[in-house]
Amino acid sequence: MKRLGLILFILAGMAFGYTAQAQTEISPERKRAIDSLAMEKIRDLGKYISIIGNKQTPFSEAKRVIDRTLELFVEDAQMGVSSLYKQEVTYYGIREYLERLMLLNYDKVKIEWFNIQYISDLELQPDGRYVGVITIFQRFEGTSDDGLIYKDVTKKDITVYVERKQTQIGGKLIGFWDVLLGDIRVVETTK
Amino acid sequence: MIAFSISAGMSGCKSKKKLAREQAAAEYASKVEQAKKDLLSIINDEGGMTLQQKESKLQRVKGMNLNEPEILALIRQAEDVIAAEKEEMRRKWEEENKKKEEATSLSLADYFALVAGASSIESANLKINEALNLFAGPDTPVLIIISQEGDLKDYDRPTTAKKYLEYLKDQKKNLNEIDNIEYDENGKIKLLELIKKDY
Repeated sequence: MKRLGLILFILAGMAFGYTAQAQTEISPERKRAIDSLAMEKIRDLGKYISIIGNKQTPFSEAKRVIDRTLELFVEDAQMGVSSLYKQEVTYYGIREYLERLMLLNYDKVKIEWFNIQYISDLELQPDGRYVGVITIFQRFEGTSDDGLIYKDVTKKDITVYVERKQTQIGGKLIGFWDVLLGDIRVVETTK
Repeated sequence: MIAFSISAGMSGCKSKKKLAREQAAAEYASKVEQAKKDLLSIINDEGGMTLQQKESKLQRVKGMNLNEPEILALIRQAEDVIAAEKEEMRRKWEEENKKKEEATSLSLADYFALVAGASSIESANLKINEALNLFAGPDTPVLIIISQEGDLKDYDRPTTAKKYLEYLKDQKKNLNEIDNIEYDENGKIKLLELIKKDY
């Protein structure tokens, strides 16, 4: 019985090795395309956040953009929020964060993301997904109706998951890379 | 007397048969003549007949089963004429379709640029609605190729016509080119394939 268990264990190991090997058989060019796709999703997120925060954006548009933004994330992903006035970081679900952002009590809000780069390259995981971390800097500027301005720059790390999936479209089998974003963690907040 | 009567009767029967043979021969000759005329009208036609008329005329002649070498040769010629005309029609149809496709892809590419570069939400929405008229529906699938190695294509997550146009409006960037368009029977886009410009 023990021997049978050992054989099964070895076979399972071989099967796993084969899967992992098959997954790694991706050319550098395809890998670059995936890296670039994930980076593009982060830039898209930055733009969506600035649209939602912008007080000039009509409510219906902001609501629509919130729905689009949610499509970028894995379920239950969280966003860290910090302030120069508070030590601790508060974490919200993405929808709650976006809705709070839309309703921020400022007259004018300007959000900008910059220095977007990988701090941990996309690496193949045993479950077949690629996982990496991209860091961004967010410049926030909120102006209240009395002219007071709150400004900060926050460094945030975003976990990125990339998974190979297939779907049928018009009778054809389409293989695509699904990029999904995970938690967004605050690293530091400065003036 | 009897012998004379029999002889006269036989002679009458013979002439009747002869007459019938002559009539049949005349009818056959007339058929051949008509078939020849019909086939020549197909071969020498200069646009007076439709393809359908030519085909039905040819079928009628073929249905006569005339085993005359001249007719058989003319049938082959008429068949060649019809085949050439069909080929010409197919070529023209393909050419027109290609022109239509080019015209559509140009205007679709224009719409993409206009939506991405719109100065206001209102003008972007106007262009989105106009562009959506080119599609079978707002949920028409849009595929974006991110890399291609031989037959292996890697795509981004599939989206729809409406979502893609809204993406251009929101992001204000137009980074993909039209790679392939498939149309439905109404000439509307039923599948759009884009490819990353920098790819």
